Amino acid sequence: MDIFRPLLMGFTWFLMVLLSDGLALASSSSPMNSTENFASPEIVLAEELWHHEARSQNTSTRFSRNQTAQERAPIPESEQTEVVDVTPDPLEPVNRVFFYFNDKFYFWLLKPIATGYKAVVPEPLRINVRNFFSNLTTPIRAANCLFQGKLDAFGTELARFTVNTTIGLAGFMDIAREAVKLEEQDEDLGQTFGFYGIGNGLYINWPILGPSTVRDTIGSAGDFFLNPVNYLPDTLKRWAWIRGLDAVNKTSLTLGEYESLKRAALDPYVALRDAYLQFRRNQIKE
Amino acid sequence: MLLIGGFSIPSVAGEPTEQVKATTDRILAIVTDPALKSAEKVKERNNLIRQAVDERFDWEEMSRRTLATHWAQRTPEEKKEFIDLFGKLLERTYMERVGDYSGEKVLYAGERVEEEYAVVDVEILTKQGRSVSVSYRLKKEIDRWLVYDISIEGVSLVNNYRTQFNSILVRSSFKDLMTKLKAKVDEG
Repeated sequence: MDIFRPLLMGFTWFLMVLLSDGLALASSSSPMNSTENFASPEIVLAEELWHHEARSQNTSTRFSRNQTAQERAPIPESEQTEVVDVTPDPLEPVNRVFFYFNDKFYFWLLKPIATGYKAVVPEPLRINVRNFFSNLTTPIRAANCLFQGKLDAFGTELARFTVNTTIGLAGFMDIAREAVKLEEQDEDLGQTFGFYGIGNGLYINWPILGPSTVRDTIGSAGDFFLNPVNYLPDTLKRWAWIRGLDAVNKTSLTLGEYESLKRAALDPYVALRDAYLQFRRNQIKE
Repeated sequence: MLLIGGFSIPSVAGEPTEQVKATTDRILAIVTDPALKSAEKVKERNNLIRQAVDERFDWEEMSRRTLATHWAQRTPEEKKEFIDLFGKLLERTYMERVGDYSGEKVLYAGERVEEEYAVVDVEILTKQGRSVSVSYRLKKEIDRWLVYDISIEGVSLVNNYRTQFNSILVRSSFKDLMTKLKAKVDEG
């Protein structure tokens, strides 16, 4: 599901390039309304339907006499996936406009650039570039492992950073993974909030930035300060180019994923929203 | 509770894993068969994959789960038509995914069995050095384990479609859903 990251990165980059010449950065943390009690009628309905379904399933198993033990048994894990997501989307009309915009942004700008880049730069090198940027963002992952009290994961990130920055030539090679099977620990502030029980709030589909929620937006804003790239003692423009390279590079490695999602979906907007919310829920659970 | 405790037995490779693996191996053998690579063999190749997929996937169970509450309100004819169309869409999506296969490693990471339900966890190692976790959810039908949901990195296919279908159904009608589904399948 790396699909979100390139979109996100690409969109950020585009925004930054647009704004880079002297313009003040538009802060993404615009004031939000209270996120509670914002459930749209549709979501409430979905919830009701779901409860109704759960009830009707119970009655349907009743006729089987030898099932008393199973009736009281917890729902098998396999059945527990049947959760209707309750993250409200009252901004849907606006979100859909931005979805349309982001879709065009991908097909008209990001994809052509990434396709050209892919044709010129061989895959192993693109993987090196990805590793390099990924190594740079270690502080985000390490800090959030720590925030969640995941000390083993924190140790893994630390070890990975040490090994990859030195033997892995400034992070271009992921030696830690290849040689000692130390996997990247994908943690961020949004997940940390989720870990402590903070809900999504509302779903937001940002222009350029793509799928997010109130919680994850605030999280990304916090993580921003942990990303060394953002502390480059240089012009905004150069910084934007670096972020751009990262975005284009990542996109070049995931071309076709967004297309597959769209092709399989009856309503790509809802499909992407749901995929994002499920993906995040799973990340937090882990 | 004692009874229930006995149901979830973590094992490395039980029946569900074996059956998922058998189907996966069979599909990968077709996909990588050089004799089936040529343009005029495309149809034959697709038919072989389709056959293997059909034997392992329970389209009806998937349909029932994606329509959820709306399922009970449908007539048998509507159900049949829905299963047929939705099955075609899933089949196409799945076939396009495996069609992209280029030597990724498939590791069987474990399975959990609870009565007639099972989850088989798979790690796919991409050639770009990333691993993608895939979970198959299966239900036992007599002696066969049939897939009724696939999750990729925690994103369940059934949940994703259920959300989409529900969003259409609460605003519009079953007829409209079928029209949209048909249009999607007809894209070919």
